[in-house]
Amino acid sequence: MSPELSVVTTAIALPFVGAAATPLIYRWFGERTGYAAAALALVSFGLLATQLGEYGTVAAPWIPSIGVALRFTVDGWALLFALLASGIGVLVFTYSAAYMHGGHNLQRYYAALLAFMGSILGVALAADLVVVFLFWELTSLASFVLIGHHTTDGESRYAARMAMLVTVGGGLCLLAGLLVLSIAARQALGTASFDLATMLANDEAMRSALRDQGLFVPALVLIAIAAAAKSAQVPLHFWLPNAMVAPTPVSAFLHSATMVKVGVYFVGRLRPLLSGPEWTLLFATLGLVTMTVGALLAVASTDTKELLAYSTASHLGLMVAGFGFGAVAGGEAGAFHLLNHALFKAPLFLVAGILAHEAGSRSLDNMSGLRRELPVTAAIAVVAGLSMAGIPPFNGFYSKELLFEAAYEFGHEAGGLAWLYPAVATVASIFTVLYSLKFLAVFFGERRAPQKTVPRPPTALVVPPAVLALGVLVVSAVPQFAVDLIVQGAVDATARGQPEFSVHFPPEHVTPPLLMSGVAIVGGVAAYPVTDRVARAIETVRDSTVLIRPSGWYDRALSETERAGAHVGPLVHTGVLRTYVVWGLATVSALVLAGYVATSASVPAVDGLGVPLIVALVLLIALLAGFAVPTAPSHVAGVLTLSILGFVLAIFYIVASAPDLALTQLVVETLVLLIFLLVLQRLPEFYADLDRFVVGRDVVLSLVVGVMAFVSTLLVSPDPAADPTELARYYVTEAVPEGGGTNVVNVVLVDFRGFDTMGELVVITIAAVSVLVLVTMRTRGETQ
Amino acid sequence: MKTTARIAVPIILVLAVSLFFQGHNLPGGGFIGGVLTTTAFVLVYVAYGLDYLEAGVLDREVDPGTGIFEHRSVTAYRRTFVLGLTIVVGSGLAGLLLGGSFLAQDYVILHDVPIYHEVELASALVFDLGVYLVVVGGLLTILSVVGAE
Amino acid sequence: MSVALAAVVGGLFAVGTFLLLRRNLVRVVWGIAVITQAANVYLIAMGGVQAPTHDLVPVLEGHGSEVPQTADPVVQALVLTAIVISFGTTALALALSFRAYEENGSIDVAEWGEEG
Repeated sequence: MSPELSVVTTAIALPFVGAAATPLIYRWFGERTGYAAAALALVSFGLLATQLGEYGTVAAPWIPSIGVALRFTVDGWALLFALLASGIGVLVFTYSAAYMHGGHNLQRYYAALLAFMGSILGVALAADLVVVFLFWELTSLASFVLIGHHTTDGESRYAARMAMLVTVGGGLCLLAGLLVLSIAARQALGTASFDLATMLANDEAMRSALRDQGLFVPALVLIAIAAAAKSAQVPLHFWLPNAMVAPTPVSAFLHSATMVKVGVYFVGRLRPLLSGPEWTLLFATLGLVTMTVGALLAVASTDTKELLAYSTASHLGLMVAGFGFGAVAGGEAGAFHLLNHALFKAPLFLVAGILAHEAGSRSLDNMSGLRRELPVTAAIAVVAGLSMAGIPPFNGFYSKELLFEAAYEFGHEAGGLAWLYPAVATVASIFTVLYSLKFLAVFFGERRAPQKTVPRPPTALVVPPAVLALGVLVVSAVPQFAVDLIVQGAVDATARGQPEFSVHFPPEHVTPPLLMSGVAIVGGVAAYPVTDRVARAIETVRDSTVLIRPSGWYDRALSETERAGAHVGPLVHTGVLRTYVVWGLATVSALVLAGYVATSASVPAVDGLGVPLIVALVLLIALLAGFAVPTAPSHVAGVLTLSILGFVLAIFYIVASAPDLALTQLVVETLVLLIFLLVLQRLPEFYADLDRFVVGRDVVLSLVVGVMAFVSTLLVSPDPAADPTELARYYVTEAVPEGGGTNVVNVVLVDFRGFDTMGELVVITIAAVSVLVLVTMRTRGETQ
Repeated sequence: MKTTARIAVPIILVLAVSLFFQGHNLPGGGFIGGVLTTTAFVLVYVAYGLDYLEAGVLDREVDPGTGIFEHRSVTAYRRTFVLGLTIVVGSGLAGLLLGGSFLAQDYVILHDVPIYHEVELASALVFDLGVYLVVVGGLLTILSVVGAE
Repeated sequence: MSVALAAVVGGLFAVGTFLLLRRNLVRVVWGIAVITQAANVYLIAMGGVQAPTHDLVPVLEGHGSEVPQTADPVVQALVLTAIVISFGTTALALALSFRAYEENGSIDVAEWGEEG
């Protein structure tokens, strides 16, 4: 069975339609807009759920001339991600309705959140590189708006800009990487194509094409940078904790479950295409380093959301590392953990939101013992937190086991330094256990809270995380159910071949991965009493030098750029017209001439004048008229000379076989003359002193521009004996049959290129309106 | 000057209209017809002044107090180019509605029409009319506003 | 490939540039006008210029008749719109100059820069 194009596109388009209609919806529903948005998300979720098991690719043409199509692939991996995004979307919208109660700019908030959800569904399902890129960047844009929700807050703006620069910068790398892939497709598939589904189907040919052209590593690195920026991998992880200034539902949705997973998702998507030794080296290392660094920084955090943010980076590292390993277990780890992480991290964020909302604090240090006031919340947190720590039998344990297995196998196969991989994974997991306990400590121990009484949270705040915690419990109890339902499909899509995937619990015998888990849990629990000392040690290292803090580098780069801009600005932006003219024209001339030199364009042999004598004669007069303009002694004389130039050119158009032009030129010249005279009678004569040095300099620049134009004309104008261009020939022969007119020029204008003509009419209209406004503004008293 | 204008203006206008209509097959078209029409109007302005059209031709009262922006002819020119743009976009949308692409054009040839025997009706003429109106409206707006200063 | 056309284009561009660099705003507007004309000639040059004959005019004899080899209609269409638009831009530049004169009481470009 193949998926329905209409169902898939509706599911993606619906959130965007909702986003556009948000102002209207808001007018009707007010603060209950969140529930309406949740209903929309539910519809998308339902539509996508109908496609379960109906895997395949569907397409609608978009730009057929360059092979771009609205192409969507439905497979386990895409559907897993899309269902997660829309499912958690439903819960987050419900939660938002209560959480954002009384907030500002709710229309913008819901519109951006809906648009974001649509973009995520787009990224998940798109199978065309151009479409992927578009949706990828849309998620960054939506995230920018959402992080910067509190527009008046400087910190919020700073974080939004940082997230934007990092993720969009990564997006540019993605664009370059995708173009590299499409170049390789030209050799592998025979045509330049952006069709990702076909590329994945011919992965062997694509790999050899990439290697032939030496593009394999560049493509890999570019896509890795893009994924690392999006998925907060070291050293581009620093934007994620800053992004926590966003409202908590946004953090739960974008920065735990969906947007940050886009990078991981795409790594998984391309895994069958690009995996190999370089792939493992790059992604396994990147992932494990991030996993460790993220876990360490999470331990050192003092803020609930900051802890969760670093933890998210760490877990994303786990997924990237999983996909990095070539072993079957690696892909299983990545795909399964994508589901598990979304299930346990989103409720934890929502719990942090409840804490902030009810207890009024995000500080880990001054909250504890809250389980009495918030028993349900505490229960949710315990379930999700233990899953995050990877404690059996919670679902986080299974996927972490798989990672250990993949890392162990890799170490076992490669030997030597490769043993570092399982070792690092184990160490990172110790800290994972540690910070999970640190988070849970908020609910246990002695009662210590910023407020005396902590009110009970409204139901709408508790239900969404409870649903997710229930999901954690279900997957924990019967992991094979989730595997059969969708994870198996996801694993198939991210691996070559058809690996059979099953989860066994409790394990039948003691394996090395099980031992690694044991070490992690025991180590984490043992280190818990000294958490504070560990945290202080990490802080000391972190703060020792700015050089190891990427955010420090970011700030420095930004301020240096600003300073450089402040230097360059006054140089080219003086407010004097001639500065702009000189910079503009000199740059253009230099670039054009340099281009000719670089391509070693040769001027063809010149034979006489190249035009009939009569044309040459007319041109000579035009040239003389042109040179007479600057020497005109007065305004009126100059304008008249200018008109002579115009009228002579009208004659030139006659002899150049262009009667339409000649007619128009004659009439327009008359009008120009008239308007010049009308304006000039109001302007004073002005005689500037002619400084010899200035004139000399201007003459030099004029000559350079003239030479550039001269050479350009020589190079582009065709041989008089040459055949007309294909385009010209087409228009001439098709004018009568297609356009029904014998005046080819007119047919071109109104029929073949009607759209261009319309643009030109808009220009005339704008000019007219501008003149109208310029001249009449004074009478309306709008100037000072 | 006024005598010249009196003779020349009708000739120019007739010429402009004929150029506009023959544009599809012979030299001419919306652009040329438009600029030529503009010159006819300008000739009237130069000879008689801005208010002549209102007072002399259309026999309306001219309110001298209002600024150029509210001037009735200028308003009319503004309407002209707005109408022109509307026609252009509208003809494009019509092409879309009739199953073609945006701005698709078509034509029919009518046979056995008296006098002409064969008349060709091209939908492009509608588009060209839009072009004509925009050119006339736009240029006249510019000229009359600048000229009034 | 025509030296005469190239020389005219080059010459007019040079003249236009020289005018753009003047302090007198009116001359700057002239410069814009001259460069517009030069650009039009450049476009025509891209289509090629041959000795004028009846056949070369891109207006065909009639429906269904033999199609002769004509001058390039594409560049002519380009230039046709360019001419009309050039009127718009010239007028706009003049209106701007006039307003600038009213605001500043001078048409010396260099003077404004020093103030701002």
